[in-house]
Amino acid sequence: MVVVDNLHKHYGDPSAALRPSPRRLGRSGRDSKRGVRAVDGISFEIRRGEIFGLLGPNGAGKTTTINVLCTYAEPTAGEVTVAGHSVTTEPGAVKRAIGVVPQEIALYPDLDAVENLRFFGRMVDVPRARLGQRISELLALVGLTEHARRRVEHYSGGMKRRLNLAAGLLSEPRFLMLDEPTVGVDPQSRNAIFENIRELNHQGLTILYTTHYMEEAELLCHRVAIMDEGRIIALDTPQNLINTLGTGIIHIGVKDVDDGIVARLKALPQVKAVNRRENTLAFETVDAQRVLLDMIRLFNEMDMPMTSLEILEPNLESVFIQLTGKQLRDA
Amino acid sequence: MKKLLYVALNELLLLFKDKMAAVWMIILPLAMTTIMGMVFGDLGGGTDTAVMDLPVVDHDGGEMAATVLDILSQTENLHVETSYDDQTARQLVTDGKRAGTVIIPPDFSAAITSGQPTTLELIVAPGGQTTPLLEGTVRGVTSGLSNVQTTLEVVISEVQRATGSYVLDYEGIAERVIATALERLQNPTVHAGVTTVGSAKEELDIFDQMVPGYAVMFAMFSVLGGAGTILEEKERGTFKRLLIVPLPKVALLGGKLVAQFLVGVVQIALMFAFGTLLFHVSLGDSILGLVLLTLATCWATTSLGLLLVAIIKSRKQIHPITTLIILGSSAIGGSWFPLFMMPKAVQQVARVTLVAWAMEGYNQLMILGGSLADVSVDIGVLILYGATCFAIGLRLFRFKES
Repeated sequence: MVVVDNLHKHYGDPSAALRPSPRRLGRSGRDSKRGVRAVDGISFEIRRGEIFGLLGPNGAGKTTTINVLCTYAEPTAGEVTVAGHSVTTEPGAVKRAIGVVPQEIALYPDLDAVENLRFFGRMVDVPRARLGQRISELLALVGLTEHARRRVEHYSGGMKRRLNLAAGLLSEPRFLMLDEPTVGVDPQSRNAIFENIRELNHQGLTILYTTHYMEEAELLCHRVAIMDEGRIIALDTPQNLINTLGTGIIHIGVKDVDDGIVARLKALPQVKAVNRRENTLAFETVDAQRVLLDMIRLFNEMDMPMTSLEILEPNLESVFIQLTGKQLRDA
Repeated sequence: MKKLLYVALNELLLLFKDKMAAVWMIILPLAMTTIMGMVFGDLGGGTDTAVMDLPVVDHDGGEMAATVLDILSQTENLHVETSYDDQTARQLVTDGKRAGTVIIPPDFSAAITSGQPTTLELIVAPGGQTTPLLEGTVRGVTSGLSNVQTTLEVVISEVQRATGSYVLDYEGIAERVIATALERLQNPTVHAGVTTVGSAKEELDIFDQMVPGYAVMFAMFSVLGGAGTILEEKERGTFKRLLIVPLPKVALLGGKLVAQFLVGVVQIALMFAFGTLLFHVSLGDSILGLVLLTLATCWATTSLGLLLVAIIKSRKQIHPITTLIILGSSAIGGSWFPLFMMPKAVQQVARVTLVAWAMEGYNQLMILGGSLADVSVDIGVLILYGATCFAIGLRLFRFKES
């Protein structure tokens, strides 16, 4: 359904794409003189009928990727096709194949739900005879039938998000993109949105879902790509990504450490790998509980004080931390 | 084309749903026009023109003094007060309670009849707006009395020459000459004829100026406010949503501009309708001229809105900037006061504003009774103004990220 091949997207100085990686540009990916490389050579495919997750912290490049896929932003380099159409040479065909639920509540607050959907329905060429019925179907789907005639400005955050979703479905798209659709919503609305997405997927809709909530990706997505600083750093099913961690990650804070000590720790039987990042040692283990006692004993033998100790649950959040050394939500 | 109309209709629906729109489009313009009209009153001498009180102190009491009082009393818009003494009259002027006072000196009549110099004293407050009027009136009187003296001297001289005798009835001759001269002074046989060119209304009402002036100003508020909603939509995300559906850009932007243009036209039409009904404003003799001028004004305003939206990047910035532009151009462009009342330099500067051209046209049509031909230059300039703003605005406008 979607093929993204070596996509680059940057803003500002065009030559920025040829310069060093975003890591050199700092955490924001911004260099005041050189511009911003929001997406830095990513490639992936989204298969028909799957829910594909794009995960990453704010500023990772998820929204920029969606902007390119929906023809809002032109790629700086690379090839992108959606439903067999190039986003650069056939944007009209792409627009007719897709539905987009933007991160913003892109609705008119002064209008009610029906007026909003009627206007956007006309814009996506829903036939006049079909429009009324389509609006009723969508309001029922997102549970807003009883609030159809209330001004959107009086809706709760969750209701606005659900109507935002309905507006993205008006054209009965083959491919739906949802950009952080649960930001700022209550748990009830969040669950309702999840149910809607699952239902739509069961009906055959292909979905791209971006979020920085890893648990959402684990719950919904068939496959996920983890993005950071404009790059995809991992891509697989959620379970396979989690399995790479073994059964647990241990982070130990240290003041000083040398290669000899790292080698001794790595030689412990339950340890799969050790990564050094500044004053933290990150251990991938087969069994975190068992190896922990051996580690503490070894640190005592070497007379090396621990400044912190943390055992991470094996989940996508841990995968991100393991891959980037950063917490997801404040990355 | 169909989608362009849908976008325009949606804009109008949003305006209709906006409770403040009715305030901006109808209530506020009417209230402002009414209040300002009442404050400034008639502009050109309507039926309620103010009458000025003028204390006159008569130290003479003679026939010439009585004539002066008589002439002043008959002067339009002057109310002569003779009850004050010299000191009180001067104090009233000093205190700013009277614009001026006239002092008739002792032996005024005797001096006139004997050909001796004398002075009719006018005392005014410094910088008074009515000083020229009073000065002109008093100079008229003194000029007339000087002519009486001259006539008397010439008559006696001629009689002496014709008769060859210096033993004459001087008193009788003087009395007859003075009586005739004063009669002519009060009922002149030579008049000044003042002709006003064009077919201007006999009485200029302040509302004839204020209704089109405030109509243009509030139309600018409505249209430029509408332009600001494009930035609002960009920030809200609805503009982006419309860019990623199969909607041509020309329909998206065109629909919004058409709606803003229509709002401007409706705003001005409403003001003219209310002005005619409530304030009895005359729309002039050329309805076609009025319609074309209104369309040209709204075209120029809509295009200016596009230019501002293209240059200004955020909603927070656009409101103070448009307010400054609207109030500034209204103040110097003739929305509040007729352009001809402004200093020459301001009149020249005002030509850069669309308000000046619009108001010149409306004044020509509604006050001076001009024809379509009389406002063709104004209409042409407004169309050109709009075309320039539109071309630059379209060039600079950014639909989305590059």
